[in-house]
Amino acid sequence: MPHKCTKCGREFRDGSVEILRGCPSCGGKKFLYVSDRVRNEDVIEEKPIEKIAEETKQEVLEVKREGPADRPTDILERVESVRIVSKGKYELNLERLAETQDIIIGMGDDGKYMLDLPSMSRKKQKPKKK
Amino acid sequence: MAKFKLFRSFFGKLFGKKRSRVGIYGPPNAGKTTLANRIVRDATGEAIGPVSEIPHETRRARRKEGLEVSSGGSKMMIDIVDTPGVTTKIDYHEFLEYGMDQDEAVARAREATEGVAEAMHWLREDIDGVIYVLDSTQDPFMHVNIMMVGIIESRKLPVIIVANKIDLPDASPQRIKSAFPQHPVVEISGLEGNNMDALYAKMEEVFR
Repeated sequence: MPHKCTKCGREFRDGSVEILRGCPSCGGKKFLYVSDRVRNEDVIEEKPIEKIAEETKQEVLEVKREGPADRPTDILERVESVRIVSKGKYELNLERLAETQDIIIGMGDDGKYMLDLPSMSRKKQKPKKK
Repeated sequence: MAKFKLFRSFFGKLFGKKRSRVGIYGPPNAGKTTLANRIVRDATGEAIGPVSEIPHETRRARRKEGLEVSSGGSKMMIDIVDTPGVTTKIDYHEFLEYGMDQDEAVARAREATEGVAEAMHWLREDIDGVIYVLDSTQDPFMHVNIMMVGIIESRKLPVIIVANKIDLPDASPQRIKSAFPQHPVVEISGLEGNNMDALYAKMEEVFR
């Protein structure tokens, strides 16, 4: 997903989930998908990103925060794969679950963790050939 | 497992056919199981699993192997994996609204959590391509959708986005197209079976 921040023009590589936290450079929350054809137009032709958005008729993606924002650690920065908030209430860290087979369970809100050691000692899978 | 893969790839080579394992992912209630049932029924006349309006009806990934999908004159063999609705939060209170008692709702939340974790593990190792199903009447710019498409892209898996439920009057598949311009989007109704041929043609193009 090559996206550019509409505020400062910073580019984000394909598959980056960084933008969900907002732009790390300027804190901007709006991003535009840029195809390869128009990718460098903002620099070469000195066009503002809004102009590119108008020309390519792409909708600007606005990242909104979901859920309680008062949680101390952002879900994307957490170490646990699953957090058991209370009985029957769970939060899942999808990025981590897709990335690693290590299982770390967060318990409640006060920094308690459970580590599943067997999941960590398993042999690493060979990366899939593409 | 490794031996089985080797066996499969040997026979695949022998008969000149590669079997792709296609995972059906998407948020809860997007119509994943309805679509999976439709694909399986078109290929074999059977079904893959039950559907319901209560979120997280599918709590275990379900698999149907060796389906022959045909579009136009050509055919391809696929395995279909129907997965639980992907979400970042599961709360049993949500199920109480559907008249479940507390114990049942808590158990459902636990199973759904395990199911999502399992589906994400599958994505890491066992899936060759993804059909990402979205409900055309809902906002596609949901955090979980952007995150999942990002994860699928970063794993370099081919993806088709399905704009489902186009039979509903307030469906807006165009919104989905503008949310994910970098990927092919096919508009369908899994329930009524509209436009399934276009999906099969796209599957052949993207997953073969």
